[in-house]
Amino acid sequence: MSNNAATAAPAESLHKIYKRKSQLRDVWHRFCKNKMAFVALCILAIIVLAACTADLFWDYEKDACELHISEKLQHPSREHLLGTDEVGRDILCRLVYGARVSLKIGIGAATFALVIGCILGSIGGYYGGKIDSVIMRFTDVLLAIPGLLLGIAIVNAFKPTVFYMALAFGISYISKFTRIIRSSILSIRDQEYVEAARAIGAKDSVIIFRHILLNCMAPIFVQYALCIGTRILSVSTLSFIGLGIQAPTPDWGSMLAGARAYIRGNAYLVMGPGVALLLTISSFNIIGDGLRDALDPRLKK
Amino acid sequence: MEENKVASANEEMLNIKGLVVHYETEDEVVEAVNGIDIVINRGKAHGLVGETGAGKTTTALSILNLVPDPPGRIVSGEITLDGQRLIQFKELTEEKRAELEEKGAWAPSEPALTEREYEHIRGNKVAMIFQDPMTALNPIMPVGEQIAEAISLHQNLDKKAAMERTREMLEMVGIPGIRADEYPHQFSGGMKQRVIISMALACNPSLLIADEPTTALDVTIQAQVLDLMHELRDKFNMSLLMITHDLGIIAEMCDEVSVMYAGRIIEHGTLEDIFDNACHPYTQGLFNSIPNIEDRKTELRPIRGLMPDPANLPKGCAFCPRCDYAMDTCAGRKPEKVWLSDTHCVECHLYQAGDTRRKL
Repeated sequence: MSNNAATAAPAESLHKIYKRKSQLRDVWHRFCKNKMAFVALCILAIIVLAACTADLFWDYEKDACELHISEKLQHPSREHLLGTDEVGRDILCRLVYGARVSLKIGIGAATFALVIGCILGSIGGYYGGKIDSVIMRFTDVLLAIPGLLLGIAIVNAFKPTVFYMALAFGISYISKFTRIIRSSILSIRDQEYVEAARAIGAKDSVIIFRHILLNCMAPIFVQYALCIGTRILSVSTLSFIGLGIQAPTPDWGSMLAGARAYIRGNAYLVMGPGVALLLTISSFNIIGDGLRDALDPRLKK
Repeated sequence: MEENKVASANEEMLNIKGLVVHYETEDEVVEAVNGIDIVINRGKAHGLVGETGAGKTTTALSILNLVPDPPGRIVSGEITLDGQRLIQFKELTEEKRAELEEKGAWAPSEPALTEREYEHIRGNKVAMIFQDPMTALNPIMPVGEQIAEAISLHQNLDKKAAMERTREMLEMVGIPGIRADEYPHQFSGGMKQRVIISMALACNPSLLIADEPTTALDVTIQAQVLDLMHELRDKFNMSLLMITHDLGIIAEMCDEVSVMYAGRIIEHGTLEDIFDNACHPYTQGLFNSIPNIEDRKTELRPIRGLMPDPANLPKGCAFCPRCDYAMDTCAGRKPEKVWLSDTHCVECHLYQAGDTRRKL
């Protein structure tokens, strides 16, 4: 047989021939080749790092919440890199603390929707039949409720805290995840390797997680990243109309709302939160795309 | 003959009795398998030949209780593996039984084991090799991990020991163990099929079902894979159910042959019975469709027509519309099984009990 020669060769030289890289390093390598994605990841890393280390530079109560009317509406300067707002608070400081809120709610909501969507979608797609119909009608009902309206309702019924907002915005996204995961599973369920996995005696749960879900990671990742982006936007929307995060807690949406009145004279007030939103959301989207390409070993060159 | 069967009972690896499998949709019932019997003894290879759609794969899937349900349903029959019932007849009241007999319906069957118990049998006692190696491996898992999965499902081994065993299995089929960390797309078709074979053999199954294992491979690789299977069968004393439409493979690998047509076994016998004394017109048609290497002037005589629609089978013999020897009785009545010798049986109106030689 053709491989006998290779089998007979000493193991050490084989190790050289088949030099292995760990899979994570492989993915990382391919991800970095995508320049856009790499830049987006850097931007996001800076935002996350800033949000995490904010307490080292500022005092939350004093700098982000208290009023300093004497310093109001200052242009960017050495003390206040991005200037101060209409009540004299440092804009950069509030942006960084606002990132905390946005990221927490965005990631929380997306993760919540992903977990529930994965469970519902896998059960519906894999087993089909009546369970599938029930689950899909349930998601139809969820789809029929406007997300923002549902968010307003839940936040008003409970409290506009990070937890309830994540919950509210997560719920409205469950149906999207369920549908995407269900359709991916439907297309993979009948592949021969799934049948082969059943033929070696694997349990349903193992088949769903190891063989099916992992194979539809690509659309799930993209959707997850997109979802974080849109959820952050929704939070800002809700705060912008005054129903979300309540003052004085800094939030990009409420900062935009406050700055709106001064847009003619002090445009930099709007720039800060606007650019922050733009960078964060587009970073998430680009990273999602990059991850999808990096995770697919079939695209390996 | 009956004595023979009793004596060999403990040697029986697989016994399928009267298996009936239907695919039932809202508009029609596809009768894929219609009452077949197969017995495979320990260490023997049994060939199942037939055209596409004859019900070969469905038969194989029934053994593992993997017929896609819905729409598939094992309607009737009994399957015994190494003394263990896999599919059994339902217990019926006398009235119900009489009612079914009156209608001429199949006696209903049910799975004899729970899903858990089937999982224990699949891959452990019975393993299956699939037709297309290109799609039978998960593209995003290293092949070694997939083999190790089969091992760790059935044997109490820790991860390291399972990987160790995986490497051994790969070496056994002629792939360097170090390649266990590679993905399926890094292997050629023949190597993928070997990976699949090593996966199937990882737990030393007592019965291996090979569903057209060489159809997707080119001839040189075919020979290698067949050699390998032969070698491994002798080594582990496995029974083999070889599903194929290639009579050459049957001649090389099998001890007994069943020819399947439209869900029925129309002729069954030892290798010699079928190859030297093919009796059913369909079996002869199969042989006439192969080029004869010794006499190159003979024309190929393919069987005319197509297999009947399994959702709409003829009332009498299913082969009747294509048969050159069809008689009046053929269209009206299904032929009974006729034993020509202890080992050779045929379902055809041309033969009556007591006949021993071919008539065509």
